[in-house]
Amino acid sequence: MSAENSPAERVAIGISFGNSYSSIAFTTGDGKAEVIANEDGDRQIPSILSYVEGEELHGGQAKSQLVRNAQNTVAYYRDFLGQEFKSIDPSPCHQSAHPVQHESTIAFKIRDTTEEKENAVTVSIITTRHLRRLRNSASDYLGKSVNAAVITVPTNFADAQKDALNKAAKEAGIEVLQFINEPVAAVLAYDAQPEAKLADKIVVVADLGGTRSDVAVVASRGGIYTILATIHDYEVSGFQLDQVLIDYFAKEFIKKHKSGGDPRENDRSLAKLKLECEAVKKALSIGSTANFSVESLANGIDFTSPINRTRFELLGNKIFAAFARLVAHAVEKANLDPLDISEIILAGGNSHTPKTAAAIKSVFPTTTTVLAPSTSPAAINPSELSVRGAAIQASLIQEFDVEDIEQSTHPMVTVTPHLSRAVGVLCISPDAATGKFHAIVDAETPLPVRRTAIIATPREGGDVLVKIAEAARHIKVTKPQPKSKPAKDDDDSEDDSDDESEEEEDEELREQTWQVGAVLSEAALRGLKKGAKVEVQINIAADLSVNAIYREVGGKGGVRGILQGGGAKAQNGSA
Amino acid sequence: PVLPEGWSGEKDFKPVGQLSQATDRNIEPVGPHFLAHARRQRHKRTFSEDDRI
Repeated sequence: MSAENSPAERVAIGISFGNSYSSIAFTTGDGKAEVIANEDGDRQIPSILSYVEGEELHGGQAKSQLVRNAQNTVAYYRDFLGQEFKSIDPSPCHQSAHPVQHESTIAFKIRDTTEEKENAVTVSIITTRHLRRLRNSASDYLGKSVNAAVITVPTNFADAQKDALNKAAKEAGIEVLQFINEPVAAVLAYDAQPEAKLADKIVVVADLGGTRSDVAVVASRGGIYTILATIHDYEVSGFQLDQVLIDYFAKEFIKKHKSGGDPRENDRSLAKLKLECEAVKKALSIGSTANFSVESLANGIDFTSPINRTRFELLGNKIFAAFARLVAHAVEKANLDPLDISEIILAGGNSHTPKTAAAIKSVFPTTTTVLAPSTSPAAINPSELSVRGAAIQASLIQEFDVEDIEQSTHPMVTVTPHLSRAVGVLCISPDAATGKFHAIVDAETPLPVRRTAIIATPREGGDVLVKIAEAARHIKVTKPQPKSKPAKDDDDSEDDSDDESEEEEDEELREQTWQVGAVLSEAALRGLKKGAKVEVQINIAADLSVNAIYREVGGKGGVRGILQGGGAKAQNGSA
Repeated sequence: PVLPEGWSGEKDFKPVGQLSQATDRNIEPVGPHFLAHARRQRHKRTFSEDDRI
C-alpha cells in the first residue's frame, strides 16, 4: 500500500487513541458518525497488547491477561510516544510491563515471540501494532481497506509526540489526514448533530479519563472554535475512583477473612481487584447497586460483596469534589466566570458516573447545561465523543489533497485576531450609563465576522438613532441587605431570590451585566413605522474596520457606514 | 433611542470611535465552518462574495 493515497481511493475513519481506551468510528452516507465495535463487540477498546506464546492479544482479551501474564502485557503507553525516558511518569504501568530506556526512546521488555527470550519492543512499535489492530477491525466492519484517519490527541501533545504518532500510524498503513484536539472533537460531535443549533457560546469540555483529566474552555463562535484555556491533571483521574473501591473491598475482605491477608499486597490479587473494581464502577453508573465478586481473590478465598451507589458516592466524595474544582479552575484560568459558561460537555469514561456530573453541576449556575448521560437526555455517550468528532472531521476532509489540508491548517490559523470586547447596539437610551446594551458580536469572536440582529425601536416609530458600542462583560455582585439574625422569620426576605442563604448568611447575588465602553458609530433612520424593527448587520474585518448596514425590516433603503480600522475616517453611502 | 433634535451626520451616519485592539488567538482547524473560513481566506474572498458562489 502506498504511503499517501490519492483522495479518490481514500477510506478514512476517526480514531481516538487514549492511554486506557481507544475507539474507531466512521461516517455514514448521510453524515452521521457511527462507532465501530471490534471483533469482541467492544466499542471502547482497551489500548492494551499482550503476548502469550507468541500470540498477540489485543483490547479486552489483552486486558484480562493483566492478571496472569502481566509482565508480557503492555498498557498505558500513549503518553510515552515521542518522549524521553526521564520525562515520563511510569506509575500507571506498575501492574504491567515496565517501560525502560532504549537508545533515545522508550521500550518494553516482553516475550512477544514463541522463543524463550525477551525483546525490547519500542513504544512506537507497540503503537503501530495497536493501530494496525484497530485498522483491521474497521476494515473488517466496513468491508473496505481503511487507509486514512483523523486521530484525536490531547491539547498538550507536543509536535514530537505527534510526529512519533504519525510515523507509527504510517507503519500501520494509516495515513493521518489531521490531528485534532480531543476537546474540540467533542464539541464538534455535538455541533454536527442535525438538531444542533449554531450559537455563540462558551463551552467547557471536561475529559475525565483513566490516567489523566483534561479540561478545556472553548469559545464556539458561529461554529468556529477557539481554545481559551486548558488544564491537565494526572492526579485527579478515574484511577482514583477505582482506588477508592479497591481500598473499600480490600478492607471488607480483611474484615471477613482474617487469614486471607491484604489482597493489595499480592500483585495478582491486586490486578484482580483492579479489574473488578473498574467493572463495579461502571455498573454503578448504570444501576444503583452492583456486586463485587472475584474468584480466589487472595489465598484461594473467593470474595463476594455488594455495594450501592450511595456508599460509592460517599467513598468517592473527595474525588468528585476534585473534578468539580478542576473544571472551576479551568474557567478561572480563562479569566471567565461560571456565569459565562453556557455548556459543559463531559467526555471520557468517568463522565458516566452520575455523581461526577452532579458535583460539576453544583459549582455552576442553573443556566449552564451539563451534557452528561445523567443530567441531560440530549447527551451523547461521553466515551464516544472524541471519536465521533474525529470521524466527522475525517469525512469532511477525506476528499482534500494532503497539501490542501496542510495549507488550510497552519498559517492562517495562527493569524486570526479575536475581538477583545463585545460589539452591539445601545438600546433605550443614548447615554452609555443608562442605556441597555444588546450584544451582536460577542468577545473572543474570530475576525472577519458577519452578524445580523433585529432590534426593536421605540413604539411610536419616527426617527431613530442607532448607536453601535463596545462593551465588556462584567459580573455584578450584589450583597444581600445586611440583615440581623432573626431576619429569617421575616416573611418578605424569605421570598427573596436567594433562598439558599439559609446556610450561608452572606450568599452573594451574582449577575452578568455589560459595561459599555466606547461608542463606535451613530446612525439615523428616519420615518420608521409604528413598532418597526431595525435590522442591523455588522461586518468586522480582520483589520478591525467595521461595516454596518441598518435597514428597517420590510422597508427599503437604509443606512450604511464604514468605520476604518486604522483611523476614525468614514466612508459613507446609501445601501 | 429616539433621534435627538439637531442630530446630523453625513448621509445619516456618524463615526465616533473605533474598536479596541484585538487579541491574536489560534482557531481550531476543525469543523465545516472552519473549512469555509479557510476557503475564504485562501481565495481572499469576503462573506458576500462567498455567498454568491
